[in-house]
Amino acid sequence: MVCKEIVKAKLTCYIKFFIGIFLYLHLMSGKEFFINRYKELGWKYEDIELKQAIRINTINAEEANIVERLQLRGMKLEKIPFLHKGYWISKSKFSVGATSEYLLGLYSIQEAAAQIPATLFTELKDKLVLDACAAPGGKTVQLADLMQNTGAIIALDVKKQRLIALSNQLERCHVVNTMVYNLDARQASRFKLKFDRILLDMPCSGNFATDNEWFRRRTINDVKRNERLQREILVEAVKVLSDDGEIVYATCSLEPEENELNIDWAIKTLRLQVQKINCYGEKALTKIFKQQLDNSVENCRRIWPRETQGFFVCKLKKIDDAI
Amino acid sequence: MKVIKSFVNLFGASISLDRRLILRKENRYFLLNETLKELVRKNFFYAGEYLGKIKNGKFFPSFNLLTMIAKQKANKIVVDEKTEWLFICGRDIFKRGIMKIIGSKRKGNYTLIMNRYGECLGFGKILCDLDEASNCVAVKRISDIGDFLRREKLQG
Repeated sequence: MVCKEIVKAKLTCYIKFFIGIFLYLHLMSGKEFFINRYKELGWKYEDIELKQAIRINTINAEEANIVERLQLRGMKLEKIPFLHKGYWISKSKFSVGATSEYLLGLYSIQEAAAQIPATLFTELKDKLVLDACAAPGGKTVQLADLMQNTGAIIALDVKKQRLIALSNQLERCHVVNTMVYNLDARQASRFKLKFDRILLDMPCSGNFATDNEWFRRRTINDVKRNERLQREILVEAVKVLSDDGEIVYATCSLEPEENELNIDWAIKTLRLQVQKINCYGEKALTKIFKQQLDNSVENCRRIWPRETQGFFVCKLKKIDDAI
Repeated sequence: MKVIKSFVNLFGASISLDRRLILRKENRYFLLNETLKELVRKNFFYAGEYLGKIKNGKFFPSFNLLTMIAKQKANKIVVDEKTEWLFICGRDIFKRGIMKIIGSKRKGNYTLIMNRYGECLGFGKILCDLDEASNCVAVKRISDIGDFLRREKLQG
């Protein structure tokens, strides 16, 4: 009799647990849930169609020459107003990824907002740079381009399969200043090096603008898991950053946990300060779901999907104790 | 090192590579600069400039190496726009598509394939003496930059 009671109690307990999980996942995920969050953050959801963008690799070619060559091929290019070497493709008779110019590394296909982070560093020439989550390598190539193939880039990625794509990009674009390692960004201190510049293009939840299935696939649990991972990577990055070095932190997520809330945490926990940057995007939010954040978080840039995909970016430095 | 030099010689060219700066990782060769040489660790996946790999005793050059050779005095043919497109799609080269020949025209020799902007698209083997050939297949394609696209497709 007692045994029966115990089994019944246990069963009830399990059922309650699973109903709880089901309700949690149901209520804390889905299109409506996320759209309501964005509304609360001050943005009204709209469907967008992303324009394909390219970036001219000026280590391999003169920008004007390449633009002219592509126009001769019948490609209609539109200069992206907030980028130096970026163009939107308004019209093309053939695949942008199959021209001789692409295969010769004269340009790369890179979404407009994704072209922003690497440009935020001050002076890259001859520096030692860490690209902590590098694959598939679009930003690594851009860094090498900005460095004019000087100095050195150490590019890491945790997934070996993705390193092949990264290596192909480096070969195609004639990058010569980069070393690639199959390593988790959270183990960067194994190199026993101090880096002048660190690009943290974080693994993140992404956003609906680049993934039609995004709302169906993502739950708040994914966001929380990424938030934890991003914080761990930030901790390691601070360990290997030289005293006057710079970190550029970027995600293509719209979720504040992976953006403003992480940066607020970094300011308070890792003694980092947010630098003012001048780039496309809105000032980041300093009040998130009734939580007041450090005022300097507004120096970050939040990009809601419109002309580009959703994005978040900021530049961080260590607090100078001498001041 | 020897295998790279022998390959370069196939084009009637020679390049000087600093032996100290060449690293072999399994079957792949990389050329570093002095900065990278100081920093590199044993367990790297890719470093500096990829030169090529050996597979089944045969050397497969990278497009970086072909570009390096193209900067030297070497066998080259310059092709027109249509032939350029066909070549990067994996096709052989017909005599009528050749705009200019530099270096060897002899059957059996190897030649770099260049576009009209002087950029190296790959290489091939001359199938018939280019002086005499009528409009037949003149150069057999061995490797072309369309390979990057094929690799992307393979990776899915």
